[in-house]
Amino acid sequence: MKFLKHLALSAAFAAGLIGLTGCADTAGTVVKTDTLTGATLIHEDNTRLARRVDVTGVNYDTVNGLKRVHISLASTRHARVRVDYRICWFDVNGMEIDGDTKPYRSLILEGRDAVTVTGVANSAAGVSSKLRIREASQSE
Amino acid sequence: MKTPVSCLLFLALGTLMSGCATSNVREVPLDRAAATTQLEPQDVRRTVEKMVESLLVAPGVKEFVANRRPVLDIEPMKNRSTQHIDMISITDSVRMQLLRAGLFRFVDRSSAGTVGTDIARIDQENTLGLVDASKAVKAGQQTALDMYLTGTLSEIKNVSGRTVDQYYKFSMILKDLKTGEIVWADEKEIRKASTRPVFGM
Repeated sequence: MKFLKHLALSAAFAAGLIGLTGCADTAGTVVKTDTLTGATLIHEDNTRLARRVDVTGVNYDTVNGLKRVHISLASTRHARVRVDYRICWFDVNGMEIDGDTKPYRSLILEGRDAVTVTGVANSAAGVSSKLRIREASQSE
Repeated sequence: MKTPVSCLLFLALGTLMSGCATSNVREVPLDRAAATTQLEPQDVRRTVEKMVESLLVAPGVKEFVANRRPVLDIEPMKNRSTQHIDMISITDSVRMQLLRAGLFRFVDRSSAGTVGTDIARIDQENTLGLVDASKAVKAGQQTALDMYLTGTLSEIKNVSGRTVDQYYKFSMILKDLKTGEIVWADEKEIRKASTRPVFGM
């Protein structure tokens, strides 16, 4: 009887673990930059990713009439960190411009390294950007 | 005592079984993790985006787009790799994204058969006698080309034991037709590696 109880508890624990891995957290870090107001908003929805990757700086400029954003990311870990990121653009009314043409790019951050990711607006109408970072393991 | 244990076992089994349930077909994100060392859709999407962004902000392009929208043609990219890749589709994606940016105007003379089709249509309009002669399009009025864009895909593959190391390089150049100068050039490199398991295929 005792063996059966242990077996049941173990099975329940295993099922719980499988259930948890099946519901992987696909949230990440979002950095919104508005070139009209100069405001930057950093929103961290994934505590594990937020602990691993810091957003250390945001800059923007205009090249050939198109807005360009530079966002500096720094790894807080000594081991290699793999993330995916995409930068999409919005017009003055907050409407996303051709979101499908901005794919997730892969980024490998070496231990304690800092890199700057850059995004260029799809057209002159793009005035605000949104960088989204997710853990690379969460892409199917 | 017997009932709760049985219930727990039943629940655990149910959860396990539902966790392992799979459907054969599902929609997946466009940008998924690498599955093979071959060139995959996400590689193409990233390459096109990188090339377009690089071209749009190139210093050499600045003087051409300052006061006007230069006319561009894009040649289908050349495939120098061992894989069968639809280079026309990649070329179309580059053209589409550049067109949407609004800095350039495009003509479509490099695509196979386009020039012939245009001539045939103008000729047909004029010779059939169905259209008003004063409104019919006359030949020799098409926009002249300012620049053209071309590119290649090359590949290096190394196999060492069970490890396959694959390297791809997309190169593109933008040429000024008038002077023959290269206005912009860039490349995108992709490297992938896979190790075959000891057992199994």
